[in-house]
Amino acid sequence: MSEAERERGSAIARLVDTLTRRLPDSVRELDALVSERLARVPTRLNEYGVDRFGLEPSHAHRGLLPSAVLYRHYFRVVTKGIEQVPEGRVLLIANHAGQLPFDAAMLGVAMLLEAEPPRLARGLGEYWIPQLPFVSEIVTRGGGLVGTPENFRALIDAEECVMVFPEGVRGMNKTFRERYRLQRFGTGFVRLALETSTPIVPVGIVGSEEQQPGLWDVKPLARLLGMPAFPITPTFPLLGPLGLLPLPVKYRIHFGAPIRFEGSASEDDAAIQARVATVKIAIDKLLEAGRRERKNPFM
Amino acid sequence: MRKVLITGIASPLGRQLARRLAAGWEVCGVDTRSWPGRPRELAMHVADLRKREFEEVMRAERPHAVVHLGVRREMRRSDARNRHDLNVRGSKRLFDHCAAFGVKQLVVVSTGTAYGAAPENPLYMSEDEPLSASRSYPEIRDRVEVDALASAFVWRVPEVRTAVLRPVHVLGPHSTGMLADYLRRLRPPIVLGYDPLIQVMHEDDWAESIALSLTREIAGVFNVTGPGQVPLRTAIAEMHRLPLALPEFVMRPWIRTSFAAGLLPWPEGAIDYLKFPVTISGERFAEETGWKPLFGLRETFAAHRERRSQP
Repeated sequence: MSEAERERGSAIARLVDTLTRRLPDSVRELDALVSERLARVPTRLNEYGVDRFGLEPSHAHRGLLPSAVLYRHYFRVVTKGIEQVPEGRVLLIANHAGQLPFDAAMLGVAMLLEAEPPRLARGLGEYWIPQLPFVSEIVTRGGGLVGTPENFRALIDAEECVMVFPEGVRGMNKTFRERYRLQRFGTGFVRLALETSTPIVPVGIVGSEEQQPGLWDVKPLARLLGMPAFPITPTFPLLGPLGLLPLPVKYRIHFGAPIRFEGSASEDDAAIQARVATVKIAIDKLLEAGRRERKNPFM
Repeated sequence: MRKVLITGIASPLGRQLARRLAAGWEVCGVDTRSWPGRPRELAMHVADLRKREFEEVMRAERPHAVVHLGVRREMRRSDARNRHDLNVRGSKRLFDHCAAFGVKQLVVVSTGTAYGAAPENPLYMSEDEPLSASRSYPEIRDRVEVDALASAFVWRVPEVRTAVLRPVHVLGPHSTGMLADYLRRLRPPIVLGYDPLIQVMHEDDWAESIALSLTREIAGVFNVTGPGQVPLRTAIAEMHRLPLALPEFVMRPWIRTSFAAGLLPWPEGAIDYLKFPVTISGERFAEETGWKPLFGLRETFAAHRERRSQP
């Protein structure tokens, strides 16, 4: 590396420093808090500050700060029952909605800022996530993985906290008419929980279902563009990329009591479906409780 | 002392391996290139694995063990056909000779990159994962086929105890290879918005793992891992280089035309390795042999920063 390039490298670092100093106090405090909590996440880093699953706290903190700002100042998230999340291996199962996965980000920030000790909720995502530029990088450095059974087992073996949205894109891209109606759940999570004796914590996220009211999902256009869905919302695609901004809804994240299933992972589908239903009902109850607490989606 | 024959002995890493094995073995080797200035006690033959001349070498040397490094790695568009023939048919001939001339042990050095870089790859793949590199990277098909031939040979001819090793990227002053050459470039290109985890190992550890496979007489297919994993950009920074970040829609045509013009050594399919991880689990090898790498990540990168000319 030449001198000039070294200079330029440090110039970028200086610019970042200057920009950070210009941030409002509240954001700077949040930044310090995120760093401090990240440092306490129970995981083992190698000499380059990277853990086995690609998490790099020094890098993740940059990706997490915008989410933390949204968490505190935009979605004004309140949580309830987070102390029920047990230590060690645990599976968070939540509803999924809102066209873009802000709900996953908010659940992740909640576990980092509100849980004691701070936990990193590892996301297990769909195969197309690592294919998106920037998203791929942020997710990888934040410790997120693609949702294969091998990755799940590896995370659970390492006593990690894993969040799964069994509705997948079925939930995320549903239309406004179907808000708070849980879509079909995948069943893989129950089999894996049985196989690894992992407690399941049901999570109800209130708010995301109204953040971007989907009016219509143009499936042929989605297929053409190779995307999982092409939602039409009141603002998208009308306002272009700006239309992707969610409404300033208030988030309420309710954690339920851990569910510990007993049995074998190889039971037939009916037996597994019954357990999936148990989780679904628990989430439904949490969602109802959350909705009762609020006057309207924004307060 | 037992005799070991190394194919591809004149390659930079082949020479390193010859030096390492000389401690406990009588070493001989074949290559299509010669090795001027090699140690005097080392017998070396210039031969093509596909030809009769190589059979004569096997008949004359009668080695106890064979280490197969003799595949051509460098990629040029013009000789894709020849390289495929050399690597696949050459390896097939070698395996047949091993069976015919009573070789007791065979170590085939394949590559961990044969699993292929794909978004759906789990981290730390076991040996049972399919080798799907050629799906988007047809130029690497010969390496995958050599691995498949070797893996079949493990079970087909049990009299020859065969170990197929799939090591992670090898770095060090003498190493050449996809990542080793890439990291030596002045501005290694990266795809904007991606930063996959990569695994590396030191070239001395690589040689040690082959020596260990011979002394423990293992048979089967084994991933071989080093001290750990880092993001690609961290590796580039450790080489004191600045990456050249290009969006994929610029990168693809650039790599395609540069490769066709012979300006870059990698075809378009290699781009996936800059986007998605190919990480492997070395648990089976560690259990079977007690393998532990000697060099840490920092030492491995430091070693790769030194470039040594071949003695």
